[in-house]
Amino acid sequence: MTAETLVGVLVLLPFIVGGLSFLIRSEGLRKPFVIAFSLVMIIASLWLFLEVYNYGTLVSNPSPVWEYLIFAVDCLLIGYFLYVGITNKHYLIILLAAFQSVSFPLISLPFHKQVKPVLYIDLLSVIMCLVISLIGSLIVVFALDYMRNHEVHHRVNPSRQHIFFFFLISFLGAMNGLVFANSLFWLFLFWEITTLCCYHLIRHDLTEEALGASLRALWMNLAGAVALIIGIGLSLHNFDTVVIQELISSGVVGPALLLTLALFCFTGFTKAAQVPWQGWLLGAMVAPTPVSALLHSSTMVKAGVYLVLRLAPGFVETQLSAAIAIFGAFVFMVTSVLAIGQSNAKRVLAYSTIANLGLIICCAGINTGLAIAAAMVLIVFHAISKGLLFLVVGTIEQQVGSRDIEDMEGLITKLPVLSGIALVGMISMLFLPFGVVFGKWAGIQAASEPVTTWFFLIVAMLVMGSASTLVYYAKWMGRLISCAPDSSGSSEVKAPLAYGTLMALAVLAVGLSFLVVPLVVNVIDPAAVAVGYEEGFKVVGTALATPWGAFPVWPLFVAVVLALVIPALVVRLKPAEVSAVYMCGVNVDERHLVFRSAVDGHVQVETGGTYWTQWFDELSLNKWINAAGIVLLAVLFVGVVL
Amino acid sequence: MNGSDILMALAALALAPLIGGILRGLDRILTARMQGRIGPPLWQPFYDFIKLCAKSKKASHRGPVVWAWAYLVLTVTAWLLFVLRQDLLILLFILAFAGASLALGAFSVRSPYAHFGAYRELLQMLAYEPILLLAAVAIFLKTGSFMVGDVLGFEQPLLISLPLTLVAVLIALGIKMRKSPFDIAASEHAHQELVRGVYTEYSGPTLALIELTHWYELVLVLGIISLFWVIPLWVGIIIALSCYFLEILIDNITARLRWSWMLTVGWSLGVGLILLNIVIVEFFGLGLRL
Amino acid sequence: MGLITKSRIKSPWIVHYSCGGCNGCDIEILACLTPLYDVERFGILNMGNPKHADILTVTGPVNHRNYRVLKNLYEQMPDPKVVLAIGACACTGGVFHNCYNVLGGIDKVIPVDVYIPGCAPRPETIIDGVIMALKKLNEKGSKAE
Repeated sequence: MTAETLVGVLVLLPFIVGGLSFLIRSEGLRKPFVIAFSLVMIIASLWLFLEVYNYGTLVSNPSPVWEYLIFAVDCLLIGYFLYVGITNKHYLIILLAAFQSVSFPLISLPFHKQVKPVLYIDLLSVIMCLVISLIGSLIVVFALDYMRNHEVHHRVNPSRQHIFFFFLISFLGAMNGLVFANSLFWLFLFWEITTLCCYHLIRHDLTEEALGASLRALWMNLAGAVALIIGIGLSLHNFDTVVIQELISSGVVGPALLLTLALFCFTGFTKAAQVPWQGWLLGAMVAPTPVSALLHSSTMVKAGVYLVLRLAPGFVETQLSAAIAIFGAFVFMVTSVLAIGQSNAKRVLAYSTIANLGLIICCAGINTGLAIAAAMVLIVFHAISKGLLFLVVGTIEQQVGSRDIEDMEGLITKLPVLSGIALVGMISMLFLPFGVVFGKWAGIQAASEPVTTWFFLIVAMLVMGSASTLVYYAKWMGRLISCAPDSSGSSEVKAPLAYGTLMALAVLAVGLSFLVVPLVVNVIDPAAVAVGYEEGFKVVGTALATPWGAFPVWPLFVAVVLALVIPALVVRLKPAEVSAVYMCGVNVDERHLVFRSAVDGHVQVETGGTYWTQWFDELSLNKWINAAGIVLLAVLFVGVVL
Repeated sequence: MNGSDILMALAALALAPLIGGILRGLDRILTARMQGRIGPPLWQPFYDFIKLCAKSKKASHRGPVVWAWAYLVLTVTAWLLFVLRQDLLILLFILAFAGASLALGAFSVRSPYAHFGAYRELLQMLAYEPILLLAAVAIFLKTGSFMVGDVLGFEQPLLISLPLTLVAVLIALGIKMRKSPFDIAASEHAHQELVRGVYTEYSGPTLALIELTHWYELVLVLGIISLFWVIPLWVGIIIALSCYFLEILIDNITARLRWSWMLTVGWSLGVGLILLNIVIVEFFGLGLRL
Repeated sequence: MGLITKSRIKSPWIVHYSCGGCNGCDIEILACLTPLYDVERFGILNMGNPKHADILTVTGPVNHRNYRVLKNLYEQMPDPKVVLAIGACACTGGVFHNCYNVLGGIDKVIPVDVYIPGCAPRPETIIDGVIMALKKLNEKGSKAE
């Protein structure tokens, strides 16, 4: 099998399988079919990875016939968005789609130059492809069990799963296409397809909330696409090219190029739900959990940061780069702070996603070899951990009936396995030596280097966001593990496919963190070198070293095993050593959290979480944060022109 | 890692609690003297520790005991990273993991008092984490490295160019050492207060573990302060000890303040001072020479 | 004298519970903490939590409402532990003896190791009582070992 065939499989197979699972209405038949598809995707992506890893960047020029097809599909999509706007009487969507329907043919029709290469697949692309195909496929498998329960819970009859799986699976193809594309027209097509899939997946439940959220997601993403079209127009007008690689390696860094790149980055920000565009991602959590997991971890938002990262070599050491770094750090800080005040688990995770994407964008803006490598590390590990956490929360929601953190109190006794996986996920998001924090560490190390005038603001915002992250995750973990001696036994319903997926992701999160040295040295560093940076990391002894720091991988793992794993296995209490908690002496007995009231009644103790809403109130903070976000974006564009 | 490193690590492992315990004893004596009392003997913390070890075990369930061990082992790890001259940022991240373990241990019991303490402990971390991390960045900007080893080899005393950073670190130190006005979660001294926050549900040997961890923590934090003057090292140690004395003094002349005030001080004054220091050093070139 | 014995004697932590007398004895106990008497000289600390304490000091007569609290606080203290009854009320019920709501001295509810009489006892007496209690504490501790 040639590499081109693999690319074809990775991009086209999801659409074919999506279409087929639309036709297959029987769940029993769809299940083995989708599992087989996932296996094929995982194998194909690994294979392609090895091809590119061994033989270097792959370029490919499919037959020019595809260009016509793409133009046709693009027109269809824009027409469909216009139709959606009109039927929903959503004037913003109508306006944006109408603008696209005029400007897109205007730009693309007169263009007849042969684009070369159409597909440009380097290590960065295949890393993204691996993340999409591996984690995305696992989420699709998870969805098989989940959606059956979901429809039982919501009494959906007749089943609408075929529509769901059509869009869910096609999403993977669109994402793979997006990261392979080198022609801006191809990129635009896949960009629009992800918008379409996202729109349909969010509105899947057809509740009023879902419809509203889907329309919001649609108009925000269309706004991003408008910037993309304007960018393409500028690129054609000024440089007569639609090839990303030509654009970023043209060598002449002037205001015209920077404005084009700034527009593309702006598009990336909308997709990555950066402030002030965070509304659509927060709304998107009304969708069934696999959708949230997919949107937040491996697809959609990662498309946004991928685009910024892909373009980063084009604006090295410019004011634009500094502005992007400041913007990303700002988003990281404010969304981390906002998350402290949230009690809705999915909302906490959504803010955490936006924060981490901000961190990745900040790294892209810092734009040194170390920063770019840190960004790639973050993309990989964040996808794993966040996918895991969303799926866990969804499973908890199905078993507990709530996604509120307050209702997860003491879950460790009711759902021990699930809570254990959730704790692994959170620890992997929050503490060293796990991958996400390794990425954050590398990010702070990179941000400390005075490459821009404003580096001190960037690093200050990063450390403040980092401290906030600790608080909101630790608070949540605290609710999960809080339990009394009288806690009742487990009532866990373990669906094999769903639990299998969760286990696989948890093992991946921990295992890959342990293998971070080979991962960084063999994959991430070469990927950064391939896009034109110097190596960020080198190996010193057993540690992974940056030019001014070192991360001792396995000693830290030994420490964590000694600190948590061994005590958890060894520490046991004899029955005589168990005692009640202190309650001013008015406990009714030793084992129950019940106290005697003033009139001799028995009162059950309730403990509640604290969210300090007088300080971290979303509603009152949002207008300031959004205003600051808009100002920073304006600065970004003004800085380019000056 | 070679033989002398291993020896040094072992020595540090054994000496830190000894020094930490003596410093705590000194603290109690000094505090008593400042209040017009005589105070306990110097070895009092060790008597307390051994007595606690000899008491019977009691716990709500095994969760808090596991987290207490995590608190100890992770703090010791941070201390060893310091002694073995490793990365300051890594050390601080591990220290944050340790601090969170203490809060999580309190969370793991369904006790209203412990939960109060745990939330306040997290607020304390929210206030001091940015200061400590930014201080590491300031040190990096002067020495060109995050490695403790390279900081130890840096010829020029950091205090000359980073005095404001030291002031900010003192704020963080006060919070970390649970001293007034920032002893929000539970004072280091055995005051009666909300039944003593995070420690409410700990007793006997587990409480002794936590006490031991505090000794390691104290020595580590003072060690970080002594980095501000490493050649000759005894000047740094004197600076660290005077900072400790200053904290005891402040502890005795101030009252506890609200957490919101602590957060404001940490995020505005603490972070602001370090940023000002960085700006002065980086852009005005001041503090570069002795 | 072994290290554990010495430590145990040198570090008695107290938790104080007032069953509700006239507060005279409570004030005398607090007086012990002041610079004049400074019980921290002997390593004595006043804790707010029975889980941290070695010695339970009780003042006031135990009654039908609070005997359960007293019992619970006693049970929550980890071994070895001793109980001090401070003042006439705690020892025997004092002036409240034979009141309709009063059970009497606290030894009706929990075992008492040292009785400190007086209404109210002077701080010197209380300190002396604590020192006597330490002997008992050590006996109990050694027996357990």
